[in-house]
Amino acid sequence: MHHAFKLEEEQHSVELSRSAKAYRLHFNDQLFDIDLKDGIDGRAWLSLGERRIEVAIARHGDNVYVHIDGESYQLRYQHPLDRLAAAGGGSAEDSILAPMPGSVISVSVKAGETVKRGQILLVMESMKMETTIISPRDAVIASVTFESGQTFDRDAVLLSLEPQEKAE
Amino acid sequence: MNATDAPVSDWPFDCVLVANRGEIAVRVLRTVQSLGLKGAVVFHSADAATLAVQMADRAIEIMGETPVGAYLDGQQIIAAAQSCGAGAIHPGYGFLSENMNFCAAVEAAGIRFVGPKPDQIDLMGDKVRARNFVERGGFPVAPSAIEDDEPASFVERARKVGSPLLIKPSAGGGGKGMRIVRDIAVLEQEVERARSEGLRYFGDGRLYVERYIENPRHIEVQVLGDGQGNVVHVFERECSVQRRFQKIVEETPSPALNAELRESICESAAGIARSIDYRGAGTVEFIFDQSGEYYFLEMNTRLQVEHPVTEEITGIDLVLQQLRIAAGEKLGFVQSDVLSKGHAIEYRIYAEDAARVYTPTTGPILLLHPPQGQGVRWDSGVLQGGEVTSAFDPMIAKLIVLGHDRDDAIAKADIALRDTVLLGCKTNTAFLRRLNSHPAFIAGDVHTGFLDANPQIAAEPELSPGTLQALLAAASLSTRPMRDVADAVPDLQAAMGPWRN
Amino acid sequence: MRRIESRLNTASAEFRANAEHNQRLAAEFREKQRAVREDRPQRDIDRLRKQGKLLARERLDLLLDPGTPFMELSSLAANEAYGGEVPGAACVSGIGVVSGHEVMIIGGDGSVKGGAWFPLSVKKMVRALDIAIENRLPVVHLCDSAGGFLPLQAELFADKYFGGRVFRNQCVLSKMGVQQVSVVLGHCTAGGAYVPSLSDYNVIVRGTGAIFLAGPPLVKAATGEEVSVDDLGGCDMHTSVSGTADYPAGSEEEAIAIARDIVAQFKKPEKAHISWQEPEEPYYPASDLYGILPRDIKTQFDMKEVIARLADGSRFHEYQPNYGKTLICGYAHIWGYKVGILANNGVLFNDSSLKGAHFIELCNQNRTPIIFLQNITGFMVGQEYERRGICKDGAKLIMAVSCSEVPKFTVLCHGSFGAGNYGMSGRAFDSRFLFSWPQSQTSVMGAEQAADTLADIKVRQMQKQGKTLTQSDIAAIRDPVLGEFKRKQSAYYTTSEIWDDGMLDPVDTRNALGISLSAALNAPIADPSYGIFRM
Repeated sequence: MHHAFKLEEEQHSVELSRSAKAYRLHFNDQLFDIDLKDGIDGRAWLSLGERRIEVAIARHGDNVYVHIDGESYQLRYQHPLDRLAAAGGGSAEDSILAPMPGSVISVSVKAGETVKRGQILLVMESMKMETTIISPRDAVIASVTFESGQTFDRDAVLLSLEPQEKAE
Repeated sequence: MNATDAPVSDWPFDCVLVANRGEIAVRVLRTVQSLGLKGAVVFHSADAATLAVQMADRAIEIMGETPVGAYLDGQQIIAAAQSCGAGAIHPGYGFLSENMNFCAAVEAAGIRFVGPKPDQIDLMGDKVRARNFVERGGFPVAPSAIEDDEPASFVERARKVGSPLLIKPSAGGGGKGMRIVRDIAVLEQEVERARSEGLRYFGDGRLYVERYIENPRHIEVQVLGDGQGNVVHVFERECSVQRRFQKIVEETPSPALNAELRESICESAAGIARSIDYRGAGTVEFIFDQSGEYYFLEMNTRLQVEHPVTEEITGIDLVLQQLRIAAGEKLGFVQSDVLSKGHAIEYRIYAEDAARVYTPTTGPILLLHPPQGQGVRWDSGVLQGGEVTSAFDPMIAKLIVLGHDRDDAIAKADIALRDTVLLGCKTNTAFLRRLNSHPAFIAGDVHTGFLDANPQIAAEPELSPGTLQALLAAASLSTRPMRDVADAVPDLQAAMGPWRN
Repeated sequence: MRRIESRLNTASAEFRANAEHNQRLAAEFREKQRAVREDRPQRDIDRLRKQGKLLARERLDLLLDPGTPFMELSSLAANEAYGGEVPGAACVSGIGVVSGHEVMIIGGDGSVKGGAWFPLSVKKMVRALDIAIENRLPVVHLCDSAGGFLPLQAELFADKYFGGRVFRNQCVLSKMGVQQVSVVLGHCTAGGAYVPSLSDYNVIVRGTGAIFLAGPPLVKAATGEEVSVDDLGGCDMHTSVSGTADYPAGSEEEAIAIARDIVAQFKKPEKAHISWQEPEEPYYPASDLYGILPRDIKTQFDMKEVIARLADGSRFHEYQPNYGKTLICGYAHIWGYKVGILANNGVLFNDSSLKGAHFIELCNQNRTPIIFLQNITGFMVGQEYERRGICKDGAKLIMAVSCSEVPKFTVLCHGSFGAGNYGMSGRAFDSRFLFSWPQSQTSVMGAEQAADTLADIKVRQMQKQGKTLTQSDIAAIRDPVLGEFKRKQSAYYTTSEIWDDGMLDPVDTRNALGISLSAALNAPIADPSYGIFRM
């Protein structure tokens, strides 16, 4: 399985293929006959096996947003080349991501500084609450993205650490 | 009731500037323009693509170090009003709506402030003074300790109020900087933290504490006064469903009140407003305990977010009343004229992820289909093609439903919430729908801690396999790299499928 | 075109007995195939897993477009050779769809003797590349080979169609503008190093992939230099220093994903235009084929019944229905493609040979690919037929077959004996693809005929020497010959030796022909021209 969508924290591997009449979804070792027909004003009809489901779909970059039965979902497409390159390469722990959108109150470290696991790196504010960002491991700070006062979105890289030496 | 005594052309202003943004700017402009007045709005560039800017007769850009800063810059806003010839400024809610200095500066510039007099703002804006004032008037207030009274003994006096207690910044509002203390041992620590937060948010570290009432209801009363001796209440609103001290669902009438209690609480509110000859629309908030006792909480000297539910059941356009009063007219009706019919509920549509402790979400509004139908009102300031940023409050719209009774309203809301499509930024509509169908909510049996006590409502329900399949199918068919790979397969091989010899 | 009216009685005892027999043969074939594909010593699998390597078929699944067919070629190559210890000749080849492109895939099977090249491995790869050349199919090489199997080097190294032919064919493909990509998933040593080097694009896996003329031990022996695999010919050296490899990959999965992205960049082929219409399933089910094929090689059956199970809608336009009736000729559609079919319904006579030659000319004139369905004992023999010129009429058929420019496809349905094999486009006649059914037999003559002939020669030699032979003496001469002949004329021997492109379960034939036709149309079809037809 090459393609994947991330829904919440879970990654789902899927493939899409064409059949004589429409498409097939390959998921969890199962095959589903599927098709999507545009309706009026941005709504669409999804067929899934025997089911016909009204949906609204919007795309933005790698994000696909789907409204179905009163709930909206965000699925993030992961291109096989990106996903596999990431799997083979650097660790995600090298980047410290914002747990929620907010603004920076203070930054306690500078690039090049050596920090201990658990050390406070940055204090952010979101939702009327202060959150401290601590170092996940002993590390050297590679870069600091924001200054105090700046705002950021969820999953923005707040700081990055120098990659860890791979254990031999 | 929504008619005016004098023709609008006789009013001392023919253009109203809205010093706000988002849905409330749109809401105010709607009434302003329906009266035949010109509606102007100030906007920060982050809001350039919003509905308020689009519908206003004049939209004047204001600058600021931050977007919020721009809307807090009174001088710029007054200059904007002067530049477009606005004779009145409507502050909406939040921002400068309860800022005495702004109010005074507006009036000093010869512009009508659509709201109370500066001293009324001043009084009610200081929680401690307001509480003392109300207490002196003979209205019920909860046991408390006020730092200012005697700072040295504050902690000691706070201890005497007893646990659980609530620490609040004197200058605060909207839940910012509030802390509950259940264990008196950590009181001092919590006081220091609250002080630091108060300083940061309000530039004022003064605090007060009051008895924390377990499982209270939040009931508030809409009042209208003309500052010329006339005050009425426009019934209550119950706003007990809250998260993080912020209201999510508001309704009227309150399912907690019988006729007697309603009369009592509404008259208390009107009495408080009357005691200061209140001018404009205001809201007196009460905390209501499970035994039916209620205490004065605070008075908001402005239009509330949840004002539409009052409008829906009474037919009174509160913005219109505000404008009439600002124009110097007297109230056009007396208390006995104020009648209610049906049941209205407001659901605040937030850009937030309920399952992640209501973390705000951001993103583009790629697709927006507001709900429609009889009894369904959609107050919103966002447009398809716009964007939800972290620059402002995460509330992006309000869904208000009017039913002939509470059950009818709840049933209508379920459909409206289901039909609300907003893609690109996660919203709380599905969460609201779960809340709306919770047996306790249906029974009207809620309190301000209801959501904390029932975290499963906020939790993301487990995805059914069928829904997951549908989502992946829809997403796969909407993803170019996947569709391209599938479409590239020649007809023969597509028809043959995964054959192996 | 009207539907063939089947005369088959599917309720008859004969049909049911045939069905049972042929289903058993098909099941045996499936089981052999399964074993060839899956059964490996656990230690070999463990070794690959430890290296982080995937099995050849797992790689295929990652490479192919999902939900698309893959036609494996010569799955049972070498099944009768090397004591059965080199399943599939240690490689996989076949035609599949990668990023929407029809491609030839050639993959080393590291789970068999480290993917060493045996003589039949080379033959299978050369044949796959020949197919790529003939049909202009881009090639994806999944390189994982220990190099030539040294004990048998004399049978795989130097001759025209031995190892060098792999590289020669790669060059020819490149010259034709047919693109190739190699994915280096293991070591490409010595000759093997040229496979990625001669490809237009190549990808190499960090850690497991390596390319070098000589590996570290040989280098040490030759020059005394001590060097690691990675430093000598690993991923990073080749992609950043030598330029021998193009794309580094962190894993096999990533390497294959990159290869898919490379194939997506290939130019789309402009296919030869032939008549086509919307495909239609045959009216009669393919499973009837099991009941049609007789249990005995000598039993005659009506090949039109077979055509009815292959052709779209079971429709067939028969040419000269009343002339030369032992050779059925006519038009049909398979997977929508218009084809001409020549199918045996008995021995080839003068008239049937002339009819066949004429029909092949018709097909060439109207650019219709030809399918040969063989069940042939040969051309008719005897004084009368020689006097009528059976040799020159047979020559006309062979001339037409040989010079045909439209793609030809051959299925050995049952018997394929004598010159009939030639007249019906046997292996030597460059059919684009040639498949055999499990019960089919191929030889210069029937086994008993051959044994009798050989025994007869021996008996006459003995008699010349004045010896007389008893019945049991004759049987002692005849029986071993018969046994050996039977073994070598079996479809399993044919497919082991790669005289075909693989054995097919009869029910798979329509799909195999569909894929073959589609592949063949990647090459242009030339205008017809012939040598001299002896009149």
